[in-house]
Amino acid sequence: MRGPPPRHPDEPREQLPPVEGFIADAADLEPGVRVVYPNQGVCRVIGLEEKDISGVKLQLVRMQREEDGAAVLVPRNKVANIGLRRVATGRQIEGVFHYLAAQFADPELDWKVRHRDNADRLVAGGVLGLAEVVKGLHSLSRLRPLPTKEREQYDNARHLLVHEVAVALNTPPGLAEDYIDYALMPPPGVKFDVPPPPAPVALPSRPRRRKPAAEEGDLGDLGLGDLGIDLDLDAAAEPPAEGAEGGEAAEEGAEAAKAPADEAKTPEKETEDKDERPVKKSAARPKALKKPAPHRPAKKPAKKPEKPARPRSETPREKTAKKPAPKAGKRGGKKK
Amino acid sequence: MIRVVTLDELDPADLAFLTRSLYRAFGLGSELAGRKPRPPAEERSGRLDAVALLREVAPIRTFADDKVLYLTTAPLSLPPGPLGEPPCWGFADYGKERALVSTARLPPRGTSEASIDAYRQRLARESIHAIGHLWDLHHCVDSRCAMHPSWSPTLPASPEMDLCAFCREKSERKIRLAKT
Repeated sequence: MRGPPPRHPDEPREQLPPVEGFIADAADLEPGVRVVYPNQGVCRVIGLEEKDISGVKLQLVRMQREEDGAAVLVPRNKVANIGLRRVATGRQIEGVFHYLAAQFADPELDWKVRHRDNADRLVAGGVLGLAEVVKGLHSLSRLRPLPTKEREQYDNARHLLVHEVAVALNTPPGLAEDYIDYALMPPPGVKFDVPPPPAPVALPSRPRRRKPAAEEGDLGDLGLGDLGIDLDLDAAAEPPAEGAEGGEAAEEGAEAAKAPADEAKTPEKETEDKDERPVKKSAARPKALKKPAPHRPAKKPAKKPEKPARPRSETPREKTAKKPAPKAGKRGGKKK
Repeated sequence: MIRVVTLDELDPADLAFLTRSLYRAFGLGSELAGRKPRPPAEERSGRLDAVALLREVAPIRTFADDKVLYLTTAPLSLPPGPLGEPPCWGFADYGKERALVSTARLPPRGTSEASIDAYRQRLARESIHAIGHLWDLHHCVDSRCAMHPSWSPTLPASPEMDLCAFCREKSERKIRLAKT
């Protein structure tokens, strides 16, 4: 069995179906009902009460956590947003055990993705989400020791799962944990013939990281050349399969983008360029020697661009050209 | 304080080793608290129901945060779960005060020094495991930890009787936060 699927890339959060047993209306919370508060555990509803907080009258649902009797107060109008759900049914618990007993050899190896997805599963994944976190981290722990944060996350997920299974099966938590680990790590010689596990929990999509302006706009205007960045890579990164014209356009684009960068090149290069464009270079040459960044734009790039691959031979030369700049021309550059 | 109560005849030297091991594992005082008769619990194929036995066993006088460990030589069983009946070395009321451990599944005590050592170490390991549940510890993924499930295929033949760093820290935190 493969692991839980990666986060759904395009589907927005609103379109995902809510977890089974999700409580969207506070009217469903009658006294005595057992509900699961994400990341808190199984709670019993005590009733509705009104409290005056900072001069505002709030209607609160009072619950009691079964594990330790802690009081939980939730504003009535927030019930739909906190992910309260009913305790898992027998069918759901059966699915959980089938999931735990299934072969699993595909843990997510990227810790950032794993940690973020697991946190979402704990909050919005229902009882199957808890089982996915436990199973995923357990199988990962067989490959390598879990880092401290994930060890804690594993322990929290296990704690919530044990208590929910115990409440659903009406057994002591110690016994529920034995059942879970019997499915998770069966003794030698024991094999379970279980039906295929239920479909894994679909996770909500995360908002995509917004591209910084430097990546969206014209890179040539940002003075990247002044920073000694060769933009050939950007031009080369364009799809080359557009035929000869496309290729030419790409080359032109590369040359155009290269133009500002030329000014920051080594003195030897500049003498070669000088013959081609004498007027421009005669004005630019002393500046280039004094200060490597004559065309500094007002707008700075939002994000430090990636350093492109550059022939190693250029790097030390460029450094030598840049070195005298602060001594001779720093002041003049500031005035301008 | 951890109080050890026997339901059957056990060697006093083994019990002395056990109390020392419990003290080392949790940093709590540990003492023998006598013997109680084994209640006639429900039997399942010649084994006693661990959950029923722990429920029916005679209580002893305790104070707040005391943990009581009952030891028996009778084989135990657990009620079957959704995927069958897990093997039973003992049973603990998670986060409460009573736990039960059986010596029936331990390696035979024998008469040689090595076999007695192996027996005592395994008894101490299972007892630490049961008391760990009383201090809110869950099963651990580390096969060298005493909280690793006793039936796990990755458990070594002679498992160690120490807690891993995570479980030790968690138990210490719980003990620090205890009322007494």
